[in-house]
Amino acid sequence: MFFNLVLKNSRKNRKENGLFFASLIVSIIAFYIILSLENQDVMKFLLKMESDAVNRIYQLLPALYGVSLVLLFFLVYFAGRYQMELRSHELGMYLMMGMRRLRMFVMLMAEDFFHSLFALLVGIPAAVFLSEMISLITAKLVGLGIIGHSFGFSWKAVLWTVVGFILIKSAAMLIFCISVMRKEVVSLLADTQEEKQKVKRPVIYYLELLLGLLLLAGAYYLAIQGKAWEDVKNMGLTLFLGSLGTVLLFRGGGMILELLLKIRKQKRGLWTFTFRQLQENVFLRPGSLAVSSLLILAALCCFGYGVSVSSQANGKEIHTVDYTFVGKKDAVEKELEAAGVRDRFAQMIEVRAGMADQEMPFSCEKLIRAADSLEESEEKANVVESLGFFTSPYYISLSGYNQLLGLAGKEPIELKDHQVALYSDDDFYSGKRLEILEAMLLKMPTVKIGSTSYQLTSEMYQTNFVVDRSITVALGVIVPDSLYDQIVTINDTTYLDAVLDSNLVKEKGLMQAMQSVNQRLDQTQLQYESYLQNMGRQLFYQVALGYITIYLAVIFLIIANTVMGVQYLMHQQKTGRRYRTLIRLGSSYKSLCASSNRQIRWYFGLPVVVAVISSFFGVRALFTGFLTESIRTMGPLLFKISGAMILFIVVVELIYISAVMRLGIRQILRRMDSKREE
Amino acid sequence: MKQKILDIQSLKKNYGKGSNQTKALNGITFQVIEGEFLGIMGSSGSGKTTLLNCIATAIHPTEGRILLKGEDIGRFKGRRLADYRGKRIGYLFQNFELLDNLTGRENILLPPAIHNIPEKEGNVRLKVLAEYLEIEEILDKFPSQMSGGQKQRVAAARAMILTPEIVLADEPTGALDTKNAKSLMEKLSLLNQEEQSTILMVTHDCNAASYCSRILFIQDGKIFHELRRKYPQESQQQFYERILMVMAQLGGGSANVL
Repeated sequence: MFFNLVLKNSRKNRKENGLFFASLIVSIIAFYIILSLENQDVMKFLLKMESDAVNRIYQLLPALYGVSLVLLFFLVYFAGRYQMELRSHELGMYLMMGMRRLRMFVMLMAEDFFHSLFALLVGIPAAVFLSEMISLITAKLVGLGIIGHSFGFSWKAVLWTVVGFILIKSAAMLIFCISVMRKEVVSLLADTQEEKQKVKRPVIYYLELLLGLLLLAGAYYLAIQGKAWEDVKNMGLTLFLGSLGTVLLFRGGGMILELLLKIRKQKRGLWTFTFRQLQENVFLRPGSLAVSSLLILAALCCFGYGVSVSSQANGKEIHTVDYTFVGKKDAVEKELEAAGVRDRFAQMIEVRAGMADQEMPFSCEKLIRAADSLEESEEKANVVESLGFFTSPYYISLSGYNQLLGLAGKEPIELKDHQVALYSDDDFYSGKRLEILEAMLLKMPTVKIGSTSYQLTSEMYQTNFVVDRSITVALGVIVPDSLYDQIVTINDTTYLDAVLDSNLVKEKGLMQAMQSVNQRLDQTQLQYESYLQNMGRQLFYQVALGYITIYLAVIFLIIANTVMGVQYLMHQQKTGRRYRTLIRLGSSYKSLCASSNRQIRWYFGLPVVVAVISSFFGVRALFTGFLTESIRTMGPLLFKISGAMILFIVVVELIYISAVMRLGIRQILRRMDSKREE
Repeated sequence: MKQKILDIQSLKKNYGKGSNQTKALNGITFQVIEGEFLGIMGSSGSGKTTLLNCIATAIHPTEGRILLKGEDIGRFKGRRLADYRGKRIGYLFQNFELLDNLTGRENILLPPAIHNIPEKEGNVRLKVLAEYLEIEEILDKFPSQMSGGQKQRVAAARAMILTPEIVLADEPTGALDTKNAKSLMEKLSLLNQEEQSTILMVTHDCNAASYCSRILFIQDGKIFHELRRKYPQESQQQFYERILMVMAQLGGGSANVL
């Protein structure tokens, strides 16, 4: 009997608060996906390529999991508290009928357990399915599809999802139970008290509103000017101003509605009622509206920044060679023959690079002076400063580099007597910095090697002479082979760049061709790197950034929406009597529903609009502080992508709002049903 | 000759089925005349609230008809039903039923807004009613800032703002102390006399009932007795005493009919 009551109550709770239940399922899915990250195809691949970085991400996961647990605890607590308030009378009745408090405690905990169990039974299979889909889709998107997919069910992820979920649900329930147990029966029996708003003097609301706007403006200024990134103090100040500004804006925000009420001349239909309801909601819960708005802002920033940057993190480097071996051509070829893979390479190019000793000092004073006539800017100062450290450059032999340029389909460098060319890595010089350096080269400056002056070519070369990171030269000098032989005495290394046979690539695809060659090469003593590593790193940035930002965005959105949705619907339920009075006063169901819809649009609209406005500044600030030089050059494109992402989230919000509108109407009609005689 | 406003014909309302059936109204018939202040009295469970709910279209009668100026309200649907509820009848609740997030003024002007009546018109009427009911000072206060009596007077203004053909009052003094109850009844009586408003009031309170011009006593869903105040010779005090006598007899059934 008792068991039946528990089951019945649990089912009733689920039905009455479907929105909350759906949010719990989505959070279970999010938990599982992030916890089973290592089972994703793309992560398995990355673990081989970038094991250190991937392991670092894995170390970060428990922290991410912990933070999510805390956030979700608040969600469960908020939504659950309202549910308990609504059940207060029912619980009082149980006590009046002689149920012992301990038994009621057991009943509530058991109900919650079944509720959680049901959510897990629905959520886990959905999570496993979705996780597999994501694994397949990301693998396909990054071109790993051919490597093969393996089913990635993770018992560990299931275990931690279940443990975490049950833990937060039980902790919240325990708090509710204790508070219910402590209450007098009479206060439980009293019909749910409508919340009373504290009426402050209007001038206080206006002051809060004004102060909120000012603080927000201050935070926006600090954010877009990049001052927030100068030090931790400034960042803290920006976040503090932004958060406090938002809270104050919502505390005083009810006055905007009051003004709207006063200004509006024609108050036909339920206009006054609608706005008073809304105002009451805003006045009663400015804190949770502000927190929801900040959470939506965080979601928008995560999503806008994460997706735009991760989508642009690849493909920036032009891929000319597939492998770089360290060593002379003959020796490497011999080893390749022995390993039986020599025939898999079509072309091999030797590029030499090394440094000169102190007897051959290098000076680029004239190059630095070429910047004098250029317009002053932060970037110029930066370039000039970095050239100050350009005192012992790497020299690159011309013949090998020219062959590489030929392979990339570029014109070879033709050096005249006493002429050298400047080489730079595009990770260090791109965008504005590159433009400045190129403008300096147009002034035909010279550099000094030993005691001889050499003129720099007007063009700068950025084609990487190794496939990945065997060596990274920020700034180097390309010199004729004869000069190279004369001056390079330190670290003289030959890099053998190789291109795979095109037939093999065509037959197996680049990824698989490389993997098969790598397997053979790993058995030799050869020091080598392949394009796979390069791609792995790019993929790592994409995947790590993509997964984490999207995960956080989803968690933030779930919490914000559920808190707002559940609070709104609970308030509507609590004030349901008013709708009945309106019917008695002759209001039609149609106009009641229209009023409910308008309230929901405004109630969700206010925090969403504030968040969207703030997100433009937030994303901009993230771009200012968190971009590598090479991605920064894509500024406008990134803004477009992040704008599209923000729009996407707004669409998601609209869908959510329409779901809440449907629930709101259903709630009104259900409440009226017993009294309806139409 | 005054017109018949409300005509209740053989009204029956049953709850439950078979042996569990309860006859809340068992064939009640009576009329309400224009400008009349009619009271309905009876013990708990006698059917008086069911009667009021039937007239207010909150429930459907099982049998019988209710005619408002000759129109059968049972046939009203949609817009016409909403108009009937809001414009043609005014309802005064025991618990006031003011929307507590609206000011007094906004509460009173809600019916004109719902029925798309120009605000100007509503404001003119509001001014008159506010003066009658002495609520000018509290119009811009929220219900939480008003006393019980003030709330009920605001509710009365809301019930009368559209000059309904009949005001239905369900225990309007039920939640008020004696002083506030007396003050409210005086105001309602004044409105009845000055504006010729027709009022149908359900009450337990003999004091409140003594302001009526006629009282129907209901028992077990039937009319059990009727009292008329004899104007002008009968004072309110004398009428009150007659009501008390009937109420004292009510428990004994038809054997004690006066």
